[in-house]
Amino acid sequence: MTPVLEVNNLSKRYGDLVAVNAVSFPVNRQEVFGILGPNGAGKTTTLEMIETLRPLDSGSITLDGMDVTKQPQKVKQRIGVQLQSSSFFDKLSLTELLKLFGEMYGRQIDPLALLNEVELKEKAKSYVADLSGGQKQRFSIAAALVNDPVILFLDEPTTGLDPQARRHLWGVIKRIRSEGKTIVLTTHYMEEAEELCDRVAIMDSGKIIANAPPQELIRKLLGKGFKKERVERLASLEDVFLDLTGHSLRAEQ
Amino acid sequence: MRLINAMTIASFKMFVRQKEAILWTILLPLFMVFLFSFVSFDGMGSISLGVVNYSGDTTLVSFLKNIEALKITEDTEENQLARLRDGDRSLVLVIPATFTSSGSDSLTLYVNSERPQEAQAGRVIIQRAVDEMVFQQHHIPRPTLREESVNSRNLTYIDFILPGIIAMSIMNSGIFGVAFGFVVLKKRGILRRLLVTPINPRDFIISQVVSRLIILILQVVIMVGAGLLLFDLHFVGSLLDMLVIGILGGIVFLAIGFALSGSSKSEDQVAPLANIVTLPMLFLSGVFFSRSALPGIAHTITGFFPLTYLADGLRNIAIEGATLADAWVQVLGLVVWSIITVTLAIKAFRWE
Repeated sequence: MTPVLEVNNLSKRYGDLVAVNAVSFPVNRQEVFGILGPNGAGKTTTLEMIETLRPLDSGSITLDGMDVTKQPQKVKQRIGVQLQSSSFFDKLSLTELLKLFGEMYGRQIDPLALLNEVELKEKAKSYVADLSGGQKQRFSIAAALVNDPVILFLDEPTTGLDPQARRHLWGVIKRIRSEGKTIVLTTHYMEEAEELCDRVAIMDSGKIIANAPPQELIRKLLGKGFKKERVERLASLEDVFLDLTGHSLRAEQ
Repeated sequence: MRLINAMTIASFKMFVRQKEAILWTILLPLFMVFLFSFVSFDGMGSISLGVVNYSGDTTLVSFLKNIEALKITEDTEENQLARLRDGDRSLVLVIPATFTSSGSDSLTLYVNSERPQEAQAGRVIIQRAVDEMVFQQHHIPRPTLREESVNSRNLTYIDFILPGIIAMSIMNSGIFGVAFGFVVLKKRGILRRLLVTPINPRDFIISQVVSRLIILILQVVIMVGAGLLLFDLHFVGSLLDMLVIGILGGIVFLAIGFALSGSSKSEDQVAPLANIVTLPMLFLSGVFFSRSALPGIAHTITGFFPLTYLADGLRNIAIEGATLADAWVQVLGLVVWSIITVTLAIKAFRWE
């Protein structure tokens, strides 16, 4: 089966700074592909070039058989995007926003079904401004799903969320994965990549320095004779916090 | 088309749900008209005449006191001349000690040369009062003028100011509404989010313009309606013609708004720019007072301001019953301005 997304030798520079340096990777259908790296590693720039938001300096991107630079309009029809720091119109309810986004793709959608998918059905009549951080991110994912995209791009979906909201969002992403969607996400949280991703590319200073399933990367490391200096505790403070505050599914309403 | 419809309806909904927007575009202009309805400019006001009477004869003074156009104060010569120099008096009349109502002494009239019209009018009035007095003293018969009043449309300041304020609010909601609105859409990443959908940017702009023109139509209708119902506006024109001029003006100011939002990254940048454009027009385009008060060159230059064309056009139609054909100068002016500003907007507008 051919990959749904193929990135070849992709580069982007801003003046003297090489933001993305000859990056290549394929993404297969129905997998969750994570781009992992610290802030400034080039994750967002890479994603934005795939999403047609930034012109490429060199390299090529093929998405679902289409060249992204040659057919940006067609690519836009087929992708769902959650941007890192984007917002939505004020004074439109979630239902109205989703309908409007549907119209942008020439589709009439069922907003309640989508809101149900991200567990926001009871907020259907609210404005985005009245949502919590986690709810905003989940709504953002719902808006990215209006066109039933072949790939869903999530740029640091859990950055800035508290542990409960983060786990809640993980639950939503896992369910979308289980329905057979291909997802590309960026994150700088290792445990998030380990929890969600079938495969991760580790990016640093604009380059991909590793690309494999998380477990395989860990096995390789251990195979090199790696030993943690301290034995892993059986529970972390985060686990304590989650236990005391009532676990992840105490929905933040 | 379906999408343009949906976007237009959505942005109209957003407008109506935004209390501040309603406040600025509808309530504030109404409130201004309400305030101005208390201002009255009956005639040019009275002429203040200082009288210094050295004689014991009060015939002339009581004659003058009967004249409505004069506001008379009596004081010493020294005080009166000081007030004249301060500009508190237009004229000072000095009646000498030897004066009698039947005599032929000369009276002295000091005039404020800074107010030639008032001095002139005052001189005529006083001369007439003196003649009248003499005629009465000597029982000289003479022909009299009998006045017949003909009903004319008594235009009030409200008739002048209301079309002006409609023009002002069209300008403000066009320039500030679009410039601020789009800078916020840009800054908050909303435009960016739209760019990853297949929406054609042109369709988005069209829907924004259409929804704002609908709001403009509501503004004009509400203002004229309030003028008729609450402020006794002498409206004789065609509302439809006003809307045509209003929409032309709306296009000019919306385009300026888009051009400004294109050249700014934040509200802090766009605010001074928008004020630089709007403030001179607000004060010099004949919104609040007639441009005929402006000196020659300023009068000529401000005649070309888009707000001048809009305010004059609306006013001519509303209170003089002009048709679009009569107001062709204003229509042409606004058409030329819309070509200039739309071209500018297309060049200056940036999505990011």
